[in-house]
Amino acid sequence: MERETGAREGLKGWLNPGKIGKFGIERLAWLLMRLTGLGLLAYFIGHIYETSHILDGKAVWDKSLEMTQTTEGHLFLALVIGMCVFHTGNGIRLMIAQMGYGIGKTERPDYPYKPQSINMKGKACIYATLGMAALAMWYGMAVMFA
Amino acid sequence: MMVLRESIIMKIHYGTAIGALFLTVVHILMRLTQDFHESLQYENVIANYENIGYAVLLELLLILISVHGFNGLRVILLEMNQGPTYEKAVTIGCLIGMAALIAYGSRTIIMTSMGMV
Repeated sequence: MERETGAREGLKGWLNPGKIGKFGIERLAWLLMRLTGLGLLAYFIGHIYETSHILDGKAVWDKSLEMTQTTEGHLFLALVIGMCVFHTGNGIRLMIAQMGYGIGKTERPDYPYKPQSINMKGKACIYATLGMAALAMWYGMAVMFA
Repeated sequence: MMVLRESIIMKIHYGTAIGALFLTVVHILMRLTQDFHESLQYENVIANYENIGYAVLLELLLILISVHGFNGLRVILLEMNQGPTYEKAVTIGCLIGMAALIAYGSRTIIMTSMGMV
């Protein structure tokens, strides 16, 4: 089968802000799901490496811990908390949608061909998830900076 | 090579996500049972690892997040490009990455919980 390489934009297609403006908050959620997923995987690999320092004794552990006990370290961890909450909330929304809930009923496609699945319920969930992520970041910072 | 249907892989992806979510909540709550900074002190972390129940939780969490994370990476990479060789390379690469991370993390958990520090 011949490949349609012309339709493939790769990373340029991901990061094109025009696409978000054109396709709305759902497109932003799609992009953030991927960016937060990659960010969390990178953090997880770093976390596994960092915690392995426990095997090298107290001095190395304390030195390793010092990196996260700075203002920059706390801000980075707050970003990780935000990514985690957004990825979780949006993931749950996607699972529920894939089970067929909240995506409207099937009906005849008439002009202006508004898709049933892109509705206010979905948009509200995305805004709520963004809000929860912001709240979790704020709470995390309150704990870390206490 | 054994090939799983994408529908089965996505069920694994969602299952690992739900499992990881519950275990992550427990993992974070463990940090909040005492002062956050105090809970990360060397002696407290060693005590956490030596608790066999918590060590099992960490091992499960490691496996669930590794499977979910590397499958997510595979899905993202397959969205960007397709082709039989590319798809096979991405799948094998992600499986190797996942196995390596699980092995490295398990080494920390097993050695610390057995007091080999």
